[in-house]
Amino acid sequence: MKSNFLLAVIVFLIGCSGCIEIVDDLSLKQDGSGTFKYSINLSSSKVKVNSLLALDSLDGKKVPSIEEIETKMNEVVAQLKTMEGISNVHAETNFNDFIFKLECDFESVSHLQQAIKTVVNYEAKTTIPELSNHWLEFEDNTLVRSIPRITLQKTKDLKKEDSELLKTGVYTSITRFENEVASFTNLTAKKSKNNKAVMLRTDPYSLTQNPSLLDNTISIVNTP
Amino acid sequence: MKFLNTLLFCGFAFVGTAQISESLVPKDAVSVFTINNINLFQKISLDELISYEFMEEIQQELFDGSTAGKTIKDTGFDFNQKFNVFFGSGDDFEISGFTFGVENKELLFEVFDDFEKVESDYPGIEFYTSYFNQIAIKGTSGILYRVTPNDRLINETTDSIWYANGNEYPWFNDYNYYFEEEIEAVEQFPDEMETENNTSNPIENDELPIADENPIEKNYYECRDSVEVVFQQKFLKQFNDELFLQGDNLLTSDQRFADQLKKNVEGNFYIDNSKIMRRNYDFNYMRTIYPSLYNDVTQLYSSSVIVGDLVINDNSIEMHMDTKYGDQLGSIYEKLTDTKFDKNFFKYIHQDNKGFFTYKVNLRAAYEQAYDVILPILERESENSTDISMSLLTMEFMDEFLNKDAIFDTYKGGMFGSFNGIQKVKTKKVIFEYDEDTFEYTEEIVEAEEDMPIFTLGFSTDRSDLLERFVNRITKISSSWKQEGNYISIENGMLNAAPLFLIVKNGLFIVTNDSDLAMNHSNGYGGNSIDKKTQKTVLKSGVLYAYSDLGKAMEGLPRNLFSERENNIIDVTRGKTGSLEFSSTQTSTNNTSFNLTYNFEGEYDASSTYILDLINSLYVITK
Repeated sequence: MKSNFLLAVIVFLIGCSGCIEIVDDLSLKQDGSGTFKYSINLSSSKVKVNSLLALDSLDGKKVPSIEEIETKMNEVVAQLKTMEGISNVHAETNFNDFIFKLECDFESVSHLQQAIKTVVNYEAKTTIPELSNHWLEFEDNTLVRSIPRITLQKTKDLKKEDSELLKTGVYTSITRFENEVASFTNLTAKKSKNNKAVMLRTDPYSLTQNPSLLDNTISIVNTP
Repeated sequence: MKFLNTLLFCGFAFVGTAQISESLVPKDAVSVFTINNINLFQKISLDELISYEFMEEIQQELFDGSTAGKTIKDTGFDFNQKFNVFFGSGDDFEISGFTFGVENKELLFEVFDDFEKVESDYPGIEFYTSYFNQIAIKGTSGILYRVTPNDRLINETTDSIWYANGNEYPWFNDYNYYFEEEIEAVEQFPDEMETENNTSNPIENDELPIADENPIEKNYYECRDSVEVVFQQKFLKQFNDELFLQGDNLLTSDQRFADQLKKNVEGNFYIDNSKIMRRNYDFNYMRTIYPSLYNDVTQLYSSSVIVGDLVINDNSIEMHMDTKYGDQLGSIYEKLTDTKFDKNFFKYIHQDNKGFFTYKVNLRAAYEQAYDVILPILERESENSTDISMSLLTMEFMDEFLNKDAIFDTYKGGMFGSFNGIQKVKTKKVIFEYDEDTFEYTEEIVEAEEDMPIFTLGFSTDRSDLLERFVNRITKISSSWKQEGNYISIENGMLNAAPLFLIVKNGLFIVTNDSDLAMNHSNGYGGNSIDKKTQKTVLKSGVLYAYSDLGKAMEGLPRNLFSERENNIIDVTRGKTGSLEFSSTQTSTNNTSFNLTYNFEGEYDASSTYILDLINSLYVITK
């Protein structure tokens, strides 16, 4: 069933979560528009991923085939292309190393937020309440960003061994600006040497336990 | 329906003059599992028992809380009688359930609290019913059973009625059924409304029948339900008449079952292969289109049964299994196993292996014998069917034109496999490298390591030249295949992540992901191969020998590399120490015996749990 696909993908990703690396990369221009990139890298679990793909099901959930994953990616891309304020959408799939990338331009962070919300709700075949909150806001040279609490909801019932596996993954969140960063609130964040980007890193397990780990309010220097 | 076909426990076989539970095992039973020493199981909680997969299909609504905190001792069962779990099927219906001794009816119906007593038309028999499940008590023995008409009969009859009433093809609108978007509907029940989960026969929402415009006229699903109920009642009566009026049961109808139950062992099992074959859906087409051919083929399997015993010793648990078959099938099996063991296998099995198996068959001889047995059957049938005539012609021409020497010399039938545990293997991975100035990142390929089970599979061959020719050609075509002196490596041949190696030497074709074997021991492990004592044991065995060091082999197996079903089978040995040995005797025209021995060190105080684990694995394998 279509509605189970998202769940199947989540179960699948958790199954290979031993060395999952996720990068979300947000580049913001001064006018509020920008580019969003999302990458999932499973290349360090190739043996595991290939063995999982050979299975019919995992923990009672159907394991998606390569064709199904590709179809779903194309579907998401096609859907994003129809979203207002979203352009230049494209996806890359590398089934040799299991690296998946999605990239799009947006007119404003609210357009990006709305597009993600619509696509995820559509794929989940339901309205996910956690997505209703604002997790991206850009106003007066200040970006307030967090991640939707949905991940916590989906992963709180994980088995202990799966939780242990999640601890070995990496989640990287990067925010780039045209202007230099003046300040940021998250003490674990790191600023690039050119002062125009902020990076936050954690492991997926910690994130499931405390989604606010990636919360950050970044102020940029206002230049004429 | 895939109900029970292997299964569970029971009591010591001192029976005296009382009714015995095994006399209630129906004659149509295909598989019966009997445990004689039920005392072993007294301490097992019912909740633990019903958590086994083989129990989940036995009327789960029985165990809707009425089992909480109770052990088998609290069920009212008579521990002086056997407990027999059975599954059976005829052409038109399936039966499943178990028989048991009754000591205390009051306790019994505290556990089976969903059952209500109903009027009995059978003298001396008490009946209780819950949905489609029945309990019948005759004297001091009882049977809990379910009779289920098979889908083929229900569908054929429903279709017949449906079309005779002038209806259209019932699935004409199914396109939308599959392609319409799913709409989620949440039903709200008022707090005061009592609901109960239907765990025995759950119905998916989208399978519910759709009401017709005319409420008096039945839609297809309603019609099918009616047909099912009528057949269910008919076959239930037939079952009851046979068992309770005519006194037909498996004990009186099959001496092999009766003989098996006389053995003084902890448990027995009986599987009628001839009936299993008949219920195989692959044969439905043959049964319908070529009924006489179907009868001829099933005749081959007549007399084919598997009977076995479970024996518990101080430091081991043994399972002895006899497969019995008729002369024609036996003649094929005899030829199949009439071959010498290839001693070169031993060179490639390391003495520190975590488990290995050897297998020796003579495919050529078995083919020739099978040809001689099957050809006359097809010749008889070809007089009535052009299809079979054409099949026969194809078979005869292939037999004449194909180079059987080349085929059967290349793959003779002998093989071995070994498992050398989990090792780190070299792989490559992509990492994101970040520029500290800008946090821009690039992809870099670096060396990595991943856990992988290390295995070796080898096949006997008299045509190494053909395999070498094949390998020579393919290494020229494919860049991922490389000739490396004594072996061939296939880049990313293992799960698209690690290399796989081929060795063609000593009359063997070997496939392995063990780089040490390929690079350093392509002629075998020499003094590090399995010891002479083990070799002698293997040579004494018949067609198959397998050994596994449970502690070393099973614990290291990563669950994710196996399917749920495979994990259920492997779970029987997880957490246990000791060794598992499987061997067979030489095959005769009518019999082959197999022995499975689980040896453990020290006292094993949970043998009953082990037996249930074993039964569960048997169930998972055969369901």
